[in-house]
Amino acid sequence: MLKQAQSTLATLEKPKPLLGSLGRLVIFLWALGMVLIPPVERGTVPALITLTALGALYPFALRRLARPRWLLILTSLFLVNLFFGIPEEGTDLLVLSLPLSSVAIFNGLQMVLRAIVILAAVDGLSASVDITEVAGLLERGGLRGLGFSIGVATNLLPDLRQSSTNAWHSLRMRGGLRANWLRGIQLLVLTVLTNALRHTEEIVLAAEVRAFRPELSRKVSLRIGSLDGWVAAACVVSLVLVVVLV
Amino acid sequence: MKFSTRELVNLAVFGALWGLVEISLGSVLHAINLPLTGLSLSVIGVMVASIGRLFVPRRGSTLFIGVIAMVLKLFSIGNILIGPMVGILAEAILAELILDAFQKPSLAAFISACAGSALWVIVQPFVTGILLFGRNLLVVWFDMLDSGSRLFGIPSQAAWGIVLALVALHLVIGGIGGWLAWKLGNVLKIRLGGNAPESVG
Repeated sequence: MLKQAQSTLATLEKPKPLLGSLGRLVIFLWALGMVLIPPVERGTVPALITLTALGALYPFALRRLARPRWLLILTSLFLVNLFFGIPEEGTDLLVLSLPLSSVAIFNGLQMVLRAIVILAAVDGLSASVDITEVAGLLERGGLRGLGFSIGVATNLLPDLRQSSTNAWHSLRMRGGLRANWLRGIQLLVLTVLTNALRHTEEIVLAAEVRAFRPELSRKVSLRIGSLDGWVAAACVVSLVLVVVLV
Repeated sequence: MKFSTRELVNLAVFGALWGLVEISLGSVLHAINLPLTGLSLSVIGVMVASIGRLFVPRRGSTLFIGVIAMVLKLFSIGNILIGPMVGILAEAILAELILDAFQKPSLAAFISACAGSALWVIVQPFVTGILLFGRNLLVVWFDMLDSGSRLFGIPSQAAWGIVLALVALHLVIGGIGGWLAWKLGNVLKIRLGGNAPESVG
């Protein structure tokens, strides 16, 4: 028997991912909810569950947190809480002749855990969702035209960086900061702003030639994953459980 | 919020400039660990957004510029940047609310917007530290007193003195930023062939 021919459009269609941008946004909000809703002293289990889920989804985010800079920040967060979180009268332990409090140690660890979850959630979201999709999400929140503006801004960044660097070097090489540095800085800012705004006319013309009109433009499409609905339902249920049980 | 194509492009330019300040200058200032880095970045960012308000004098334009800068900061390479993102958004919202309170862009509006946003720099550690990282209110308070004490050379026991000095410093720097933004914005308008905003009805 002959197979039914597929339409060209159907064959060109990309396969649906398991998790779309909406699903990832829901996971981000869920992660924030899981660590922000419960009180600090009872937030360990929800935070560990969230961290496990984020670690499975975004292993790169946890690897990034193992960099020296972040380890230093997280360690200082723990130490500040350890030594300044509880008054001296509340100490009940003596470690290396330092009076410490078990409550301060627990609170410090809890705060570090919370910080790791939030940082991993933000990093995971920003790395897995495209910049235009974030614009699309915000456009749906009422900022119409944001997708177009972010596209323009992203493309402008390298030019602006280059022209600002050039303006800075020319000013410095001509001794513009030596005689009257305030005037020099003002001229630098004016030059950078003027250069940036000179681009606008070309961009507006290019957009209008392509018949772009903000009120008629399509919203940036979002990737919808096949598991988005289930993930959202699971997130809502777990948040309700946290509210009820913790 | 409905903007024309020209307005959207102008907002994109100012959003990109604020984003550029945060990405390039912010990284450098944080790396060399200068004092008052947050304040400098906040004031410069809101100055850019305020000048943008002169070019798109409509409700929502400052917030729009802030959101663009925040998204650019979110996607800048290899960093986890929840603090600056919250900062940019909060400063943009504050500046927007203050500018909306005035009928049209004016020197007073710019000074108030920049000073108000500069004050946010003092408040932000209390919001992000307590809400996001679960830090103790007292720890954040002592951190602030400690940094203020080092900055002004006042003993950390004089808590209210330090707080007042910090508030005054932020208001003054913010105010100067607002005044500069107004001045630069007017010069820029004239340089680009438009009218100075005062003469626009």
